[in-house]
Amino acid sequence: MIDIKFNKRLLVVWLVLSALTLAYLWIDHSVDGGGSLRGSAVVTSSVIVIASIKVRIIFREFMEVRQAPVLLCRLTDAWVVLIAVSLLACYFVGVALR
Amino acid sequence: MSTVMTPPESAAAPPSGPVHRRIAWHLRHNPKRELWLAWWVMVAFYNLFFPMFFVVAQVQPPPQPTWDLATQVHWFDERHLGMPIGFGIIFAIAGMTAMNNALIAYSMRRMSVSPAFGYSYLLIYSLSAIPGLLLLCIALVVGTLRPERNPETIGWLYDFAFLSFDGTMGVFLIGSLIWMVAILIDKNRVFPKWFGYLNLCNALTEVVVAPCWIFQRGVLAWNGQIAWWLDMVVFGVYQVTFIVMLFQMIRREDFGSGPLPDLPRKRANAS
Amino acid sequence: MTELTDKNKRTRFVPGQPDMWAFVLFETLVFTAYFGFYLFYRAKSPELFLHGQAQLDLRIGVLNTLVLLLSSWSVARCVQSARVGAYRAALRDGYLTAFLGLAFMVSKVLEWARQIRMGNGFGSSDFFTYYFFLTGIHFVHLVIGFVVLGVLVYQLRSAARRSQELVETCATYWHTVDFLWVLIFALLYVVR
Repeated sequence: MIDIKFNKRLLVVWLVLSALTLAYLWIDHSVDGGGSLRGSAVVTSSVIVIASIKVRIIFREFMEVRQAPVLLCRLTDAWVVLIAVSLLACYFVGVALR
Repeated sequence: MSTVMTPPESAAAPPSGPVHRRIAWHLRHNPKRELWLAWWVMVAFYNLFFPMFFVVAQVQPPPQPTWDLATQVHWFDERHLGMPIGFGIIFAIAGMTAMNNALIAYSMRRMSVSPAFGYSYLLIYSLSAIPGLLLLCIALVVGTLRPERNPETIGWLYDFAFLSFDGTMGVFLIGSLIWMVAILIDKNRVFPKWFGYLNLCNALTEVVVAPCWIFQRGVLAWNGQIAWWLDMVVFGVYQVTFIVMLFQMIRREDFGSGPLPDLPRKRANAS
Repeated sequence: MTELTDKNKRTRFVPGQPDMWAFVLFETLVFTAYFGFYLFYRAKSPELFLHGQAQLDLRIGVLNTLVLLLSSWSVARCVQSARVGAYRAALRDGYLTAFLGLAFMVSKVLEWARQIRMGNGFGSSDFFTYYFFLTGIHFVHLVIGFVVLGVLVYQLRSAARRSQELVETCATYWHTVDFLWVLIFALLYVVR
């Protein structure tokens, strides 16, 4: 039945998103080793990129953009890129103006 | 309002010919002339309001909450002519906001929703001009009247003006929500649903500006980049949009009580 | 915008009202602006923000995210069930979504209370201003989400009222609340 196939796909999507979320725990753990608090552009950039990937997955799978007209696919992809680029830009401009 | 009145335009079309004759015909016979009058009054008001606030009185963008009293007194001094002139004009034209509100309430009467929506909107917005506009103007004009006043008092008027202006967004929040709900449950398709959602965006910016009561500096102060600048962008988009939406509504108006017809000639996206 | 009437013919359709999509994209831009300001000021004073961030518990943030992602899963499942006519299953998923949303809300309020008890208030430091502001405005969106879920459940409960488009529209809004949180969580709790 088609709906069972759909439901399995949704569950897999949730598992992937959760795994990406838990990956943050791993990142956090490996960065704060030694107890000192340090800023890190590498961590920030990868976190922003991972978050953008998660948002895209939510758009395409949960919000069913995969089955939507091409315009909506392009628009949501453009938005994900816009979010990632804007956030990275704001961060690095801030770093430059420190 | 249950009979459909065929607009006389279809029976007696405006005469072709010289412009002044056509204008005269419209002024005397166009059934929508009151609506158009209201719309043009609204446009005139905003075309006066923004220059008065931004250019003549120069009170927007707002100054900083963190300035010391001497700087605040100097700020008043710089505007000792601009503020009385600018606000004098604002006081004279403030009544035009009644037309704005009436037109918006009219749009809700045209919808299939209860008249209570229109009436509540009118009530709220009639009162909202006081904190949302007049208190700032009054406080600042009082400040410019006697430049030799005690700086502490000037400082008080300064804070009172800007906090009353930026901090009392609750009335506008509720008003926006009333219009939003009316649009979303309306069956007469007076406005597209996305415009209802835009009202929600506007309402949320009122929430965002509320912390200006707490912060004297930073992005959430009354002149902050989020509380003022970003909110002004959203507010600007909203203002332009609702003026255009009301324009479209008047064009589509058929004075009936059923669904508002789309404009002829491929207005397919006026859902 | 047509509903999927024939399952064999996979026509492309916009999930829910296109109007809601316009709102989603617009709100996302506004939130991106908020995030931009946060990251800019954070990059300019890293020690202050790092110090504030250290007082947050990442595990709570992760749990919040997992719960909200699960609620997105359940509302997506609800939409698919409704589409094939399995309304009882869809209704169950709708209630599950609301329950998970409620769990998130309770967790968030408890977290705020804990931070305030620790002495970190709205005005304590720039970091906590952003923390309470971003989680607060997200919370407002979540509360609106409950109204939206109410509409969804109301639609599903009566055969006369059901509108697949409206169900999908409500789900679209809920997913937005979810992905906004995904971004907020990454920026407040994990970013260095």
